[in-house]
This record gives sequence, C-alpha cells and structure tokens, in this order.
Amino acid sequence: MIRLIHRIPDALRRVLVLFVVVIGIALLVRMLLPAELKDSGIHVKTTIEHEMAKPVKYAGSDACTDCHEEAKLKKEGYHKNLSCETCHGAAKDHAENPTETKPTLPRMREFCSGCHIYNPSRPSGFPQIVPAAHNPLKPCVECHNPHDPRPPKTPAECSACHAGIARTKALSPHVQLECTVCHSAPQGHKLSPRVVRASIPAERAFCGKCHAKDVGAKDAPKVDMLTHGEKYLCWQCHYPHMPEVQ
Amino acid sequence: MNPLTEKLFELLKQVTGYIYPNEIEVHWGILVVVYPYLTGLVAGAFILASLVKVFNVKEVQPAYRLALLTALAFLLIAPLPLLLHLGHPERSFEIFISPNFTSAMAMFGFVYAWYLMVVLLLEIWFTYRKDLIIWAQGETGAMRFIHRALALFSTDISERAVEFDKKMVKGITIIGIPSAFLLHGYVGFIFGSIKANPWWSSVLMPIVFLFSAIVSGIALVIFLYMVITPLRGEKIEVRCLDKMASFLFYAVIVDFSLELLDFIHRLYESEESIRILSDLVMNKLFVSLGVIQVLLGMLLPLAVMVSIRLFKLQEELRKLLYFVSVILIQLGIFATRWNVVIGGQMFSKSFRGLTTFKMDLLGLEGFVMALILLSLPFITLAILIKLLPPWDKVVKSFSDGSAQ
Repeated sequence: MIRLIHRIPDALRRVLVLFVVVIGIALLVRMLLPAELKDSGIHVKTTIEHEMAKPVKYAGSDACTDCHEEAKLKKEGYHKNLSCETCHGAAKDHAENPTETKPTLPRMREFCSGCHIYNPSRPSGFPQIVPAAHNPLKPCVECHNPHDPRPPKTPAECSACHAGIARTKALSPHVQLECTVCHSAPQGHKLSPRVVRASIPAERAFCGKCHAKDVGAKDAPKVDMLTHGEKYLCWQCHYPHMPEVQ
Repeated sequence: MNPLTEKLFELLKQVTGYIYPNEIEVHWGILVVVYPYLTGLVAGAFILASLVKVFNVKEVQPAYRLALLTALAFLLIAPLPLLLHLGHPERSFEIFISPNFTSAMAMFGFVYAWYLMVVLLLEIWFTYRKDLIIWAQGETGAMRFIHRALALFSTDISERAVEFDKKMVKGITIIGIPSAFLLHGYVGFIFGSIKANPWWSSVLMPIVFLFSAIVSGIALVIFLYMVITPLRGEKIEVRCLDKMASFLFYAVIVDFSLELLDFIHRLYESEESIRILSDLVMNKLFVSLGVIQVLLGMLLPLAVMVSIRLFKLQEELRKLLYFVSVILIQLGIFATRWNVVIGGQMFSKSFRGLTTFKMDLLGLEGFVMALILLSLPFITLAILIKLLPPWDKVVKSFSDGSAQ
C-alpha cells in the first residue's frame, strides 16, 4: 500500500491530500452537526412559524358589517365584490378599538382612477374615465357614492362604459355608423348591463346589407356572400369595430 | 400618496395592454443579468485557454495564463450577484448543510464546485507549480511563504515531475472543455427549461448561451491582453492577437447563426405567443436587442472583422479595429443577457400586454451594485496577477528560458 502511494507522483499526492482534507473536513462538519440542522424541512417549518408570527392587520369584511350600515348598501351595488378594506385599508386595529383608531378614507381622484382611469386592457363594459376630461378636480365622491357607485344619471353614450370599443371604432371605416345600427340596447341594459345584454348581429345577411355584391353602400368593400366565408358569421373573422383586422 | 402606490402609478403609465397584477414587479433584475454574463465570461475565457493545450494553438500561448486567471477571477465573483439577489447572503452556508439534489437551480452549486475545484484550480495549480517553486526560491518574507504554500510546499522540479504536470494539465483541459460547456450550458438550461415562458423555453437556449459565452470570453481576454500588455511596457504580439481574433470571428459567426436559427424557428413555429413576442421585440427591446445586441454587438464587429481579413490592413489599424470590436462585442453580449433575463419578464403571461422594468440606482439590487459586481472580477484579477504573474517573460527569466 505504502509502495503504491509512493508510486503516485509527488505533485498529485499533495493535491490528493488537500482534496481528502477538504472533503474530510466537510464530512466531519456534517457529521458533527445536529440532525435538525441538516433537515431541509426545518426551512419550511421556520418559514411557516415566521409567517404565523406576523401581526394580523386585516379584520375581514364580516367585522365591518356588524357596525356599519354602508356595508349592506355596498353588497347590493356595483362594488359588491370589493372588500371594505380594499379602499379603507387594513382595519383590524379599528375593529378592536373603534373609537381610537380610524381607517383611512381615500378621497383623492387618483385613488378611484386606480381602477377607473381609461385603459384599453380593461374589459369592455367596465366604467372608465379620462380624469382630465371628466369633471376635472372635483372629488369623485361628490357625485358617486362609493358604496353604491351608480352614475347620477344614466349615460347617454355607449362610450361611457365601452370606452375601448368607442376609441377603436373612431379610427375605423365604421366610424360613421352609430352603435345602434348594429346593436339594439334595451333600456334595461343601461341599468343592469350584465343581466340585460345588448344584441349582436346574428345573421350574415346583416353585414350583407352593405357588403354583399350589387347592393347597398357604394364605398363599402363587396364580397360574394354565397362563396365568401361559407358557414361563418362575418364577425367571427372580421372585427366589426376595426374591420381591417382579420 | 404612499411611496409604494406612487411607484406603482409611475410604472402603470408605461404598461401597455393587459397584464396580470403580479407582473408589474419584475423579480429578476439587473443582478440576474450580471450573473449569466459573468459565468459566460468564465466559460469563454477557459475555452480560449484550452485551445492552447488541447489543440496546440501555439500563437495564443502568450495569453494562455492570462485567460486562465481571467476565468478564475470571474468565476470567484460569479455567485455573488445570485447571493445578493436572493437577499440573504448570510444564509448561503445552509446549502452546504442541507443540499438539495432535486432542484435544477440548486445544481448550480454542484456545477460551480466541480468547475472551480476539479477544473480551474487544478489546471492553474499544475500550470504554475514549477514556477511557484522557482519564484519562492528567489524570494523572501511573506511572498515566499505565499508562493510556497500555493505550491503546497512541493519542491520537486525534476524533468519527470514537470512532464507529469504537463500531462495533468492536458488531461484536466480535456475534462475542462465539457465542464465549461456544462457551466454555461447549465445557465442556458435554467432559462430554456422554463416552459411557461415562451421567450425562454427553447432547447436551443443552452447552446446559444454557450456560444455567446465563448464569444464574450474570447473578446474579454483580447481586451485584457490589449490593455495590460502596453501598461507593462511590452509590445502586443500581433500573431497572438490575430489568432485570437480569428477564433472570435468564427465564434461570432456560429453565435449569430444560432441566434438567427432560433429566431427563424420561432417565426416559423408561430406559436400563440408570437404576436406578443414580436410586440416585445419591436417596442420594449428594440434598442437593447435590435440596435445594441444585433447591430452594434454583432453585425458591426462582424463587418469590421470581415474587412480586416479582406483588405489586409496595417498592424496599428488592425489593433485599433480589434479593440473597438471587442468592446462592442462585450456590450452586445451584455445586451444579450439583458434581453433574455429582463425581456422574458416584460410580457404578460396572458400574451396581451407588456409590462415595464425600472432599475433602482442604489440598493442591494441596484445599478451601482451591478457596476460594483462587474468591476470586482477585475480587482480580483489584479490580485491574482500580482500573486501569479502570467507573463511568459517573468516565467522565462526564472526558469532559464523554458516557458511552460
């Protein structure tokens, strides 16, 4: 054995000794460590403990309903899916000690804009405004009750809610067409938009009134309704608010 | 307004389309850009060094040791960005106590340890062993002790022992090449295997990473060689420079072709993500990808290097052009890392919108920290060069004209 070791070149022997020492120390340290330190489950456990030790800040909406009438009003309005603490901030302290600590009362226009500023990515039908044009500088709460944020008067224009569509259509060849040419919006739609829906054209012939060969408007692009698109409805391929888009 | 909300408002203005709420925060910031950049330089510098040993490229000999030390200096700093990014560098010892053998990310620890201990340190040790002994003989005081300790107190400089060192170096280099591929291929693998992200998820990712690593590593060694040699009052060996530049040229061509292939493949595949990705490339990444990575970092240096070959330019002009090219290439490769890491987080997983990234100036993950981390390897390299002078002349003057 010793002869074998001596046959290893000197340089390699030194490196090997160093490696054995380093690995040996690592193994020794690992052996000496108490088992719980080596258990990777400890990280999970301590993380859970760490999280559990954090103070609870939110009271939950049930706590609000106990004392505040507005909470009931909110449950019937458009903001029914929002928790009270979404706007008023964490209120556990207030729930425990109602007289001494008060939750925040956001009255700035920027606060409401967080959700209601115009943004094309918001779903169609979501009320959106351009703050610079919509009653500038006036606090939102002067006209809208945040617990039942119905607009003071029913909007006359479709664009009040369908802002994205209105802006898209404004740039398209369909700009001249009123919304009501293609959609019928019953009065109920303006009051409960999700229950009563506006209509959409259900027949190919509807678009054909302008776009079929040999009929209708002179400037409209024409297609042969018998061969073009076959069984599909026109809007399944063409987006009517911006018809160039396929 | 509270500062968090204020920051959110500022960022929201730059968001286009629809993004999920948690996508406003970009989790992998500038430090995660620095990390693959640094590891890439390690792998590239090592591969340049191994050309000398494995393929016997004599011309690159003057830069061989410099390349090795560069690889080591950058490798030593490479994990720092990760440690700082994770936020609790003081807990890093826990990966040794409770190693995780199933996490792809934790694998970096093993790949790194293998590369550092078994490849780089060993190769450097066997390369320098004889010189360390000779240096120690002519020195006194602390330096003598350091050199003797670094040589592990060996004293054998007989021909047989030196011959054995050479054999070991060659053997380690042969293991080293796949290891260097593994080191940086691994980083590419981490990104390439994230199947939820179409910008990253590609089998080509490890290979593209690897070749861009080779490009950046060679460019860095050329840069260092061109800066340090005149500083030492020596003349730059143009033969060495030309050879390194020609390797760089081929590496850039392969890298460019691979990236083009990746691009064409994505375009032809045209998965549902293609629209948002083209949006990403045309808007958020237009400057960093189109202008810096492709135009300045790849096409321009390629054009320069082609014209150097075509027109047989004068030596001085050639040097100048090489110097400009390697700086542009570094810039381009850094932009490549930026585009992968930051670009991959700029589009919403809904494929309907683009988010935005605002880098902090100060702080643990800020711009200044990135600059510090990028300059640390150079400081480390300066110390290493002080300890282990890589110059043939120093080596020769001690060992009677027999370099290596």
